[in-house]
Amino acid sequence: MKFEIPQKEYMYPGHVACPGCGGAYSMRMALKALGERTIIVIPACCWSIIDGPFPLHACKPPVFHTAFETAAIAASGIKAGLDIQGKTDITVMSWAGDGGTLDIGIQALSGAAERNDDFIYVCYDNEAYMNTGIQRSSATPWGAWTTTTPAETPKSEPKKNITEIMIAHRIPYAATTTLAYPDDMIRKFKKAKSIKGTKFIHIFAPCPTGWKMAPDLMVKICRLAVDSNVFPLYECEYGIHYTINHIPKKPIPVEEYLKPQGRFSHLTKAMIEHIQKSVNFEWELLKQRAGVS
Amino acid sequence: MKWLDFETIPKVILEREPDYPPWAVSLTNTLVNRTGSWRIFRPKYFDKTPPCNDACPAHEKIQGYMELVKQKKFLEGYELIIEDNPFPSITGRVCFHPCEASCNRGEYDESLGIHNVERFLGDYGLKRAKAKKSAAHISKQIAIIGSGPAGLTCAYYLAKSGYKVIVYEHFSLPGGMLRVGIPAYRLPKDILNKEIRKLEVLGVKFKTNFTLGKDIFLDDLKQTNDAVFIATGAHKSRNLGVPEEKTRGVYSGLEFLAQINSGKRPRIGKEILVIGGGNTAVDAARSALRLGILPKILYRRTRHEMPAVAEEVQEAENEGIPIHFLVAPVKVIKSKGRITRLECQKMKLGKPDESGRRRPVPIKGSNFRIKCDSVICAIGEQIDLSVLTDDIATTGWSISADDWGRTNLPNIFAGGDCVTGPKMVVDAIAAGKRTALAIDSYFTSREIKEEPNPEITLFSNLNIGYFELAQKVTMPGLNVKERKRNFREVHLGYNELMVYKEADRCFSCGVCNKCDNCFVFCPDLAVMKSDDKYDFDYDYCKGCGVCAYECPRNAISMEEEEAR
Repeated sequence: MKFEIPQKEYMYPGHVACPGCGGAYSMRMALKALGERTIIVIPACCWSIIDGPFPLHACKPPVFHTAFETAAIAASGIKAGLDIQGKTDITVMSWAGDGGTLDIGIQALSGAAERNDDFIYVCYDNEAYMNTGIQRSSATPWGAWTTTTPAETPKSEPKKNITEIMIAHRIPYAATTTLAYPDDMIRKFKKAKSIKGTKFIHIFAPCPTGWKMAPDLMVKICRLAVDSNVFPLYECEYGIHYTINHIPKKPIPVEEYLKPQGRFSHLTKAMIEHIQKSVNFEWELLKQRAGVS
Repeated sequence: MKWLDFETIPKVILEREPDYPPWAVSLTNTLVNRTGSWRIFRPKYFDKTPPCNDACPAHEKIQGYMELVKQKKFLEGYELIIEDNPFPSITGRVCFHPCEASCNRGEYDESLGIHNVERFLGDYGLKRAKAKKSAAHISKQIAIIGSGPAGLTCAYYLAKSGYKVIVYEHFSLPGGMLRVGIPAYRLPKDILNKEIRKLEVLGVKFKTNFTLGKDIFLDDLKQTNDAVFIATGAHKSRNLGVPEEKTRGVYSGLEFLAQINSGKRPRIGKEILVIGGGNTAVDAARSALRLGILPKILYRRTRHEMPAVAEEVQEAENEGIPIHFLVAPVKVIKSKGRITRLECQKMKLGKPDESGRRRPVPIKGSNFRIKCDSVICAIGEQIDLSVLTDDIATTGWSISADDWGRTNLPNIFAGGDCVTGPKMVVDAIAAGKRTALAIDSYFTSREIKEEPNPEITLFSNLNIGYFELAQKVTMPGLNVKERKRNFREVHLGYNELMVYKEADRCFSCGVCNKCDNCFVFCPDLAVMKSDDKYDFDYDYCKGCGVCAYECPRNAISMEEEEAR
């Protein structure tokens, strides 16, 4: 088996992501799919740092750094500016973390989706505010350790389902993808590029630093997340047509996904069982929506 | 108070100053950031040995030719095999394929049909490969005694290196045990003839009907040749060691096979008992079946201890030959000078013996008699040491030689069954190859090349997330009815489509096959890809180890960086 991915790179090495960064890898793949004619909008997130300190820059296409809550509205504005200039072949992509999407940026994103502004919004989700010191976000899963939800009192709220929120906006395209399936990721970005309107891509992007995990497990942990149905790969068009892209033949227990991560090392058997139950519940719900039995 | 030192501001900023924008904008890229200095562990491309290559006594580059077959480069695949084994069309048929037992795929779904692929390439090469012509340019002559697999292999590699080689053979045609011991339904004679023809084209001279100790003598050969390789094999059948075994109707398995394999029909009865559990016993029984007689095999241990190739035992049973386990002969009963019954004894398994197999122990009072008119005795072969000269050191039952065939005498080499006792064809081929290297080294003082890298890739080293289940391609063959009363080859071989499909199942354990995973998954763009290889860009590699972990086949190693 060989992954067929575009060979040309639109990023420079020397970026300052941690070793084994899922976010850095995701950007590399996204740019491979979108190509040179792209403008990237980055609010406050890991990527504000990864792109390099002034006067350095790691992406070949231009990047517009903006404030935390403005990823979507800045992209809308840039797209409008390009339209006025008649430059219609340029893809605008917002590239925000889970904090900038699920918490701080959600109103701007919801507004842009309501107007169906023509850009791709990417949430690379590492399930906490990693850049500022691993504080919990609304993307942090139930039971996880962060510096603000210590092991004695781990996070007691479930993860906010941002993809379903965006699907509820009836945007033309919303998809989930992850690192272990580069062909799937490339395909979804290419598809998003070809559609007019607001596109939302949710990338499950591990953070070895914040997840207290060996950096070489960057890809493996994504594979486990998909195979255990913790993070199913699916896409939805116009809020109605669901497609599940990868249905595990026999899902692996969530414990296998949780075990390599230090942020879950305090979990008791009962807590793991609870996570398994909620994963099963969500998976059944998704299958119902997609009409898969 | 600190003042800004304008000299330290990068030149690029100063140059751009006239149109310097009013907000912060990047002026250059991150290539100036040598993130390689963060690294604690360094990835390195380092091919390991696949378990199949290691398990093969001849160390065939199995993974290598599987890759070539995947690219449909059959001729190159053939050329790669004959670097280590000159007769793939023979071993592809008769080898007990230890490679397949060690195949990592066996722990995943089903081990690869390596010998089937080998056989295809061997046959393909025999048909298509351009024959190498005689190239004797070294004025050294080597005499090889015995034209079995060890002798032929040694002759091939020496002739290929440019030596003059003369092979002496006791029988009227060369081939040794390959010709007289292995029936045609396993190894058709025309395949053997073609392989021998390959050697003749290469310039090897065969002198048949020469028996050591009768027509030729070791002392003379020593005088007239620069080196001698003794590869006489083990042709003396072991005796049953029971009373009255010299009775009419008791045959040796090897003689029985030799007669059939030379095209004669041995005079034999209707109720045959074959004694033994090795290849000779199974071959004799299946040959008898092809003469229209249904024999019985008696073996004193159980199936688990049988030294015969497991598939051959299975085929014998498929053909309807009954095998009685835990039975040993104790006495031949005769009437009018001919055998009428064999008295046997039931056995049970005791403690393991020096071969590691459990020793059979007789059960007292369990004697019984089986009616028969012939007994084929195939309980093993011995080495005939009486033909040697006294100055060659022996172990008492075999010739003493090291792993490279070197005996106590400088220009006398020995290898194959006459050193190791009866073993498999591929063991003899390996011995022949190693001896050829040792003889070459004896003349040229060239160092003998090392054996493969001892670091072997095990199943636990693989990243099986990248492999899909795939069924082994079944070998087409004759059904049991079609095998009766003829010696047609039982297995018919793969075609091009089948061989491609089967080779495609190979994991390529431990050896990079350009799957691109390291290049695809590097988050730091530190894998540089060129047409024929990958390289790490250590200026930027942060040493996260994703490439090594995601390598499906363990071809990347992580090494700790040295402190600087």
